[in-house]
Amino acid sequence: MNGGPALEARDLTIKFGDFTAVDGVTFSVERGEIFGFLGANGAGKTTTIRTLCGLLVPTRGEARVGGLDFSDGGRGIKGKVGYMSQKFTLYNDLTVGENLDFAAGLRKLDPAYARRRREELFSLIAFDRPLSTMVSSLPGGVKQELSLAAAMLHDPEIVFLDEPTAGVSPASRARFWELIREVTGLGKTVLVTTHYMDEAEQCGRIALMRTGKLIALDSPAGLKSAAFPGPMVELDFGGPAPATALEGLGRAPGLLELSPHGMRWHAAFAGGREMEAALAGLPAGTGRREIPPSLEDVFIRLVEGAER
Amino acid sequence: MKRTLLAFIRKEFAQVLRDPRMKMMLFVMPMIQMTVFGLALSSEIKNIRLAAVHAPDDAAARRLAERFTSSGWFLPVAAEGRDPAGLVVSGAADAVLVFPAEGFARAAARGRGAVQLLVDGTSVTRARSVEAYARAVFSARAAAAAGLAPAPPPLSFDARVLYNPEMESPVFMVPGVMGMIVCLVTIILTSMSLTREREMGTFETIVSAPLENREILLGKTVPYVVLGLVNAALVIAAGFLIFGVPVRGALWQLAAAALGFVVTTVSIGTLISTISRNQQQAMMGGFIFLFPAVLMSGIMYPVENMPALLKPAVYLDPLYYFTALLRNILLKGGDPAVFARDMAALAVMAAATGTLAYKRFRQTLN
Amino acid sequence: MTFFDPRRAAAVARKEVMHILRDPFTLVLVLGLPVVLVVFFGFAIDFDVKNLRLGVYDRDNTRHSRQVASVFESSGYFLPEGASSPADAARGLDSGRYSAALLIEPGFGRDLGRGAPARVQFIVDGTDNSKAQAVLGYLPGITSAALRKTGAPAAADPVPLATRYMYNPELNSRWFVIPGLAVIIIGLLSILMTALTVAREWENGSMELLLSTPLRPAEIIAGKIAPYVLLVLGGVFFVNLVARLGFGVPFRGSHPLFLSGTLLFALACLSQGIVISVITRQQQLAMQLSMISGLLPSLLLSGFIFPVESMPPFFRYFTMILSPRWFMEAARGITIRGAGAADLALPLLALCGLCALLLAAAFRKFKTDLEP
Repeated sequence: MNGGPALEARDLTIKFGDFTAVDGVTFSVERGEIFGFLGANGAGKTTTIRTLCGLLVPTRGEARVGGLDFSDGGRGIKGKVGYMSQKFTLYNDLTVGENLDFAAGLRKLDPAYARRRREELFSLIAFDRPLSTMVSSLPGGVKQELSLAAAMLHDPEIVFLDEPTAGVSPASRARFWELIREVTGLGKTVLVTTHYMDEAEQCGRIALMRTGKLIALDSPAGLKSAAFPGPMVELDFGGPAPATALEGLGRAPGLLELSPHGMRWHAAFAGGREMEAALAGLPAGTGRREIPPSLEDVFIRLVEGAER
Repeated sequence: MKRTLLAFIRKEFAQVLRDPRMKMMLFVMPMIQMTVFGLALSSEIKNIRLAAVHAPDDAAARRLAERFTSSGWFLPVAAEGRDPAGLVVSGAADAVLVFPAEGFARAAARGRGAVQLLVDGTSVTRARSVEAYARAVFSARAAAAAGLAPAPPPLSFDARVLYNPEMESPVFMVPGVMGMIVCLVTIILTSMSLTREREMGTFETIVSAPLENREILLGKTVPYVVLGLVNAALVIAAGFLIFGVPVRGALWQLAAAALGFVVTTVSIGTLISTISRNQQQAMMGGFIFLFPAVLMSGIMYPVENMPALLKPAVYLDPLYYFTALLRNILLKGGDPAVFARDMAALAVMAAATGTLAYKRFRQTLN
Repeated sequence: MTFFDPRRAAAVARKEVMHILRDPFTLVLVLGLPVVLVVFFGFAIDFDVKNLRLGVYDRDNTRHSRQVASVFESSGYFLPEGASSPADAARGLDSGRYSAALLIEPGFGRDLGRGAPARVQFIVDGTDNSKAQAVLGYLPGITSAALRKTGAPAAADPVPLATRYMYNPELNSRWFVIPGLAVIIIGLLSILMTALTVAREWENGSMELLLSTPLRPAEIIAGKIAPYVLLVLGGVFFVNLVARLGFGVPFRGSHPLFLSGTLLFALACLSQGIVISVITRQQQLAMQLSMISGLLPSLLLSGFIFPVESMPPFFRYFTMILSPRWFMEAARGITIRGAGAADLALPLLALCGLCALLLAAAFRKFKTDLEP
């Protein structure tokens, strides 16, 4: 593939009848990036991913994946990408070997090449069980990793992962993201959808989606500083927050965001002066701690704040 | 407790009826099938293709052949100089009349007027009827056609069939078809739905609901019983409206029979779902029950004829009793003794299968 | 990208074989159930109604009249019982005690002895249509037997009708039933087997993954049908073995012709299952549709028991879309009559046509769009 972005979408729109799942989304992804899609269920992440891997044809707008567009109905794109779906990974009633043989057969891979790729991928994911292991007997995390291997068997340049760590233990999740980094280290481009904030932190750039629209696109740090130019404090009222204090804070000038997090509250301000002024009116003994904004704060501000 | 059960049942109903295709299959398809089968099915032997092989100028033979055609049972098939056996083997004709080569009238005058009737023996019932009809026409017309004085046969049976009007099949067939349709719908609905829930994992959500096992089972099966009864009512009404199948017996008898039958089939469907690991197995299980049940229901072949060793299977077929009950109630006015006997059998089946289903169901929940 | 790549189709077929082997229940069922059902119903189904209670009212009471009554008994179909009066016989018919009644008037024996035409009244209970027809069908045979037994001097019939039953002179009704049973069972199982396979992949989400590769619908269809063709042929083989060795059903036609017909029929049924799977995309609906479109139409409209010729013209044409109807004709023709390819051109061509139609429908109806 020549130079240029691995993938670009321009005004990408996908409608199902009257329902617009993806609405005029524009972005581009560079080679070797870990590009994340963050958003609630139904925001359009999965539909976008499905389109970019050739499964759906855009209703309007255009997309180029690996230098190819949709003029052939997406068939060329399918040959160049790997896809891991949210709902289904591997056939439970087949062995590991049979699943991978099937994936190889679908891609018409030469058997020797397929074997070599399999061994490379097994060492990448550190899979050391026999090929005759039934998939149903594998733990969830191992299944996901194998599914990734199957998606990469034909050595695609771009890999799409739709909620790859759903229902998997935290330790396995961490492992999986290490794998993602190794994969991009090999020069691949990875697009991931997730609704775990800690995973989103590990992406190079994040596209925040809401009801089909792209409402923000930047690196995690960039998103945070854009959403919260000023400081943020965590307030601990030692119990439920007194209504008067909240009202007072809510009316304070320069308040950007006030939201509950467990028993505590996060308050973000436009600047340090506004913050001191607002906090002065709080009851004595209110615990306060300056904290860096998290992606969750960004999410709440951009997604749920827009609703208010 | 009662309220949660009702809510549960309502939810099940909503789920089943949500899919418009399901509604079509529950309500529209049975009507279509009733109509098609009621109109199409007849065990009467008709439209017998008869070829007549004779010399081209044999007017007597031709006259007789025409008599066969005009009797209404036979359809003429051109022989076109083909070999009689060839006509039968190719399926062009069901029977062939082979006249003497020298000419029918001439041969008859010389006392050698034997006509051969070749009958395709593939279907025995058909073959016998073909011969019976052929003889009837032959004995009435052959002598005249040959130009001889009619010679009445030395021995003949004046055959008369009683209760003839209903021999025109729909009224006789339709009750049997009704039973088949209700059986089909309830079995596949019940066995597949429960298995599907287990496969999809939505079963667990019910188990965690604050209901007793007994109530869970009721909640899961009552909707299908109701749907089955609605189906039965629709089908009986269709029989009445489209085919004029009367309802000579009491409505309560009809309701009791339908209830007993539907409870039995829903229980069997539930049983199937408890022993199936996935939907494919549930379907096969449904087939294993349905195929013999429909075949042994009584309208396909004479079940009384079965060898003693195999006959008990019929007595275990709920559809057999339901068909008998339907025929009895609809056509014969619900003769009390016969009704009592068949209804008792059905009630015993309902109780037995219901208990079994409950036991197995409870096991799967734990 | 080609329209159809055999390598990809082969990959799908291999996977399908693995699925089949991992579900031994279905495997055993498909190979064994037809045999079990054919054996059971091969013995169970017998259209020769027997044990027919015959109410005999014999007012003539001569040697001849008693001989006639005894011929009914020795036919093996009737159980004569004495009736005290015609009214008694009528009551017996009404209540269902008698299936038929024989009323012999005085003078019968005398007429028969003199060679005058002798007539006897024979009344049949018509409640059960097919039973009544069967009873009437016994009469010609009984008439000739009665004539022989009474040895009545009859004027030589100048125009006798000599009947010959071709291919089945002993009138063995099993020969008619068993090939029909085999056709129905195999056909139904074929539809059921493929009906769920595509729907299952949609339901568990694996279809989405398949479609994200260059795999084409035609390859999925071909790959999914192929393994089942072999399975069906296996089932057919076992059933035919049982039919021939167990029941003595003859096989007078050509084996290659029968094999070709079976292949066409299997393909048509498997395709019907695939079409159902493709358009429903849900296993439960697929199962319902296949049972509804398969079970009752096969059993009732294919000519298995209810003759197609006896149907009103509209329905006779309607059954032309049912593949069992055509293969029923072909199977019986080849097995019992020894019919050849030329004789069965119509059924075989119709099967070809149905195959092509169904496969085309499966292909065109294969929607690759995913729900939102």
